[in-house]
Amino acid sequence: MATLDFANVLAVGILLGGVYALVSVGLNLIFGVIRVVNFAQGAFVMLGMYGTYAFTAVFHLDPYLALPIVVPALFLLGAVVQRLLITPLRTEPAMQIFATFGLLLLLENLVLAATRGTAFSVVSPLASASIGVAGVQLSAVRLIALVAATIVAVALGAFLKRSMLGRAIRAVAQDRAAARLMGINADRIYMLTFGLGAALAGLAGCLLTPIYSLSPEIGTSFILPAFAVVVMGGLGSVLGAYAGGFIVGLTEAFAGFYVDPSLKYAVLFAVFIAVLIVRPSGLFGQLGAEEVGLRAE
Amino acid sequence: MPSDGLTLAGSVRSVKAPLIRTFAGELPTAAAVVAVAGAMVAFWSDDIFTLNILATMFLFAGLASAWNVIGGFSGQFSLGHSVFFAVGAYTTANLYLKAGVSPWLGLLPAAALAAAVATLLSWPVFRLRGPFFAIATMAFTEVALALGNYWTSLTGGTRGLSIPFRLGWANMIFRDRLSYALLMLGFATLCLLVALAVRRSRLGYYLQAVRDNEGAAAAAGVSVLRVKLLGMAISAALTGVGGGLFLMQVRVADPAALLSVFDFGVKFALIALIGGLGTVYGPFLGALVVVPLEGWLRAELGGVLPGANLVVLSICLILVALFLKTGITGLFATIVRRMAR
Amino acid sequence: MAVHTGRRVAVIAALSLILGAGSPRAADLKIGVVNPYSGPMALYGDEMTRGYDIAVEQANAAGGVLGRKIVIVRASATSAQEGIAAVEQLVGRDKVDLLSGTYITAISNAASEAALNNGKLYWETNALSRDLTDRGLPNFARSGPDSTAFARRSVEGVIQLVIPKLGKKPGDVKVWIEHEDSSFGQSIAMEQMRLLKEAGVPVSEGSHSARSIDLSDSILRAKNAAPDIWLSTGYVIDHNLLLRTMREQNFKPAATILVGTGDTPETLQALGKDALDGILLVSYPRADIGESYGPKAGAFLAAYKAKYDRDPIAPQAMSAYVGMKILLSALADAKSTEYEPVIAAAAKMDKPLGTYETGYGVKFDKTMQNVRALPIIAQWQDGQVRAVFPKEALAPGGTLIDLARK
Repeated sequence: MATLDFANVLAVGILLGGVYALVSVGLNLIFGVIRVVNFAQGAFVMLGMYGTYAFTAVFHLDPYLALPIVVPALFLLGAVVQRLLITPLRTEPAMQIFATFGLLLLLENLVLAATRGTAFSVVSPLASASIGVAGVQLSAVRLIALVAATIVAVALGAFLKRSMLGRAIRAVAQDRAAARLMGINADRIYMLTFGLGAALAGLAGCLLTPIYSLSPEIGTSFILPAFAVVVMGGLGSVLGAYAGGFIVGLTEAFAGFYVDPSLKYAVLFAVFIAVLIVRPSGLFGQLGAEEVGLRAE
Repeated sequence: MPSDGLTLAGSVRSVKAPLIRTFAGELPTAAAVVAVAGAMVAFWSDDIFTLNILATMFLFAGLASAWNVIGGFSGQFSLGHSVFFAVGAYTTANLYLKAGVSPWLGLLPAAALAAAVATLLSWPVFRLRGPFFAIATMAFTEVALALGNYWTSLTGGTRGLSIPFRLGWANMIFRDRLSYALLMLGFATLCLLVALAVRRSRLGYYLQAVRDNEGAAAAAGVSVLRVKLLGMAISAALTGVGGGLFLMQVRVADPAALLSVFDFGVKFALIALIGGLGTVYGPFLGALVVVPLEGWLRAELGGVLPGANLVVLSICLILVALFLKTGITGLFATIVRRMAR
Repeated sequence: MAVHTGRRVAVIAALSLILGAGSPRAADLKIGVVNPYSGPMALYGDEMTRGYDIAVEQANAAGGVLGRKIVIVRASATSAQEGIAAVEQLVGRDKVDLLSGTYITAISNAASEAALNNGKLYWETNALSRDLTDRGLPNFARSGPDSTAFARRSVEGVIQLVIPKLGKKPGDVKVWIEHEDSSFGQSIAMEQMRLLKEAGVPVSEGSHSARSIDLSDSILRAKNAAPDIWLSTGYVIDHNLLLRTMREQNFKPAATILVGTGDTPETLQALGKDALDGILLVSYPRADIGESYGPKAGAFLAAYKAKYDRDPIAPQAMSAYVGMKILLSALADAKSTEYEPVIAAAAKMDKPLGTYETGYGVKFDKTMQNVRALPIIAQWQDGQVRAVFPKEALAPGGTLIDLARK
């Protein structure tokens, strides 16, 4: 029985890790390149979810089919936010953080006003499906999220390493002035990056919709673990953010089962603080990576 | 260099007086600010609704001032001050409920314990820079929340602590709103004086040096960690006092309420930012704007449509962030500069 | 000086009260309502107030109370501090005569204390915690059920309804009590444990955070204990996630009971009617309740539909409606809006169970808790929530269906 328990908890942790990795990859990009503590990242995930719900309510189609609409919409939103809110505050990083916080409040409350707080749920035929493997139950929706997280991590890594645009992004992250001298339009790169980060958040939101009942504050449940993922995994590394997701997911699952579900977040954040103190560049990041920028692995 | 809100007076004086402003030299300005606040209380002394707003405004002015010592003067952007706030609150409450210690006396151990906790917690994380430090402080708040919910004997767990309604000066429980307004004004004055003293002291200059260029400060012989810890301890001590006062006024609180990121953690920073980060009077101006605005919006829009008041508030916050980048004091300074031309 | 000004204000206030009380007034009777109208609980704050509005409308149509028209003034509060500000606003700015509310215990706690500071009555219709009445505030009374009533009813359900249906004896069944970790969940769970232990039923307990993104750990732990009955107290979001996780993890206890939430269309939408079939709910009495239990509940439903053009979103509305009616009765009996006479009048009220639409009666105990206000047990049956316990609450033709979920 104990081994089955262990297997179950391991499965839960890995699947949860997939969810966290998916949610955090966008944050990693934004934090790593633009160096903004984007409080509103969770709100982008929330918007992705509500956008998916609206799509299903109007078209009565499977929620996954909302991806082609939700993801580009959030990309646009991200680009606009970068242009109108983040760029003008370049010289005041404290105000930048505070502005993203204002954005979070705004988005949450706009959705609250529009929906009056009803907890919507999206139904997908997959939502109830779960596969039993050797006594361990695996939820289909979470498996999809895990696969998506892996694909996104690989694709993003390849994009950053091989494509011109990806290299431009890394260049700007490493040294803005030098990148400019090389002819790169830094502001446009920032817009692209923030847009991409928001789009990834929207992707996560859409894929996670079948799991959760929507509420305007659902974003805030994700944001702090997402920061833990990004920092623990290693700023400056896409692989690090991917791995970080699993670190956080497994920590949470094991702490929740073997210690106490009410204490799992305390354990998680205690571990987070410990990592932050011992190795602030994260477990997979390069030492001093917080000064260097985004790497493509 | 960040400017104080009353630069015109300062610059006129400095033509004749030495360039270095002293604590004693600033006192008249500080006294004027307190006098204006006192006048507001006197003017609205019969209006309990406004008195309540004033009390809240002064409380947050003090708390933002306290935050500003480490967040503004020293540039260590902490979002975890609600932890010290809660420590102060629970210390005062427990001493009162369990040992019968009058809250007036209980505020001292509250300040001390908050300072101790702050020193302990920030020691290992002060090596982190900028956003990493901020995120670490948020993580501390989460851990504190979980601990607070678990430690039922100290905090009442999720059901919270309740301070029974027993009127009396010794209990710091009053029926009239005027007493609370004056109490909070006293707190704000205390924070103002401490902030002023720090700013015009050697510690203040070290804090600014650390903020402006940590490496250079270290090279110049400033003991960076010691300076940061001292600034944090002072900031936390004042925040703890504010927490104790708050709990005695509200008389009921659970850990989630005291450690709320939005209601306290971010709000202290927000008020200081809006008023003018790193200035002495900034937090007061910030509180003057934010607290009544928030209350007014909730009163007018709160019942109309869920979240409407916060939509408007957040739009205001974003606009302020965009157009008043250096806060209200920065705005005044710009106006003064333009007028002087 | 502050002290002298205070005294002067008090004297003036007292004089105006005396003078004011003497002169005939046709001024509106203002009831200040403190509720969350923004934030996550906005839906329920709104819904409760709709219940108040209907009660007030009906009372005004019958001539008002004390010869005055009743007006509800809203103030939004999502936290204890905001609750105090709301009371100050209602009393200081809007000049209400008394206060009512409140969907959340913490807000009610602070707001009622602020009401006392201002010498006003605080009439609680919905917030659950036992602590609110145990405090002994002289201006406070609760017309609706408290957490003990919910706990008691859920245990009654377990012992009188579920265990016989499972064909077992109390000593032979295992109960797992799950609850969210704030005061709402904890207060009910503690009482449930106490009562079940008294009845000789073996009990295990688990708690979770309502804002958790993953509740697999709670379900795995419960599954390991192999309980016959899974009894959970929580909010909508976590209940939905728990039920979905149970489905994922193939955790199918013989009986599932949800306390407090799980009875709204939000849960139906999340799980689908097949998954919900058989699940028992301990909640406020519903508008489709049997006539002998809750007379004229149908009339309330009709009034709600007429005014708002849809069905009630949550049963809290009817409970709030009845609570307001009881308050208006007490005001009429007391012939005053001051808290002392109203509390005294309420304490004398004695109406049997089944007087009101929710099946409530009126009898306040020493702590001013209405002990004749009880929740009911309902069950999801084919996509509908139907009352099943007490037997009198059954709608005509209603019955208890199979408990096991598919």
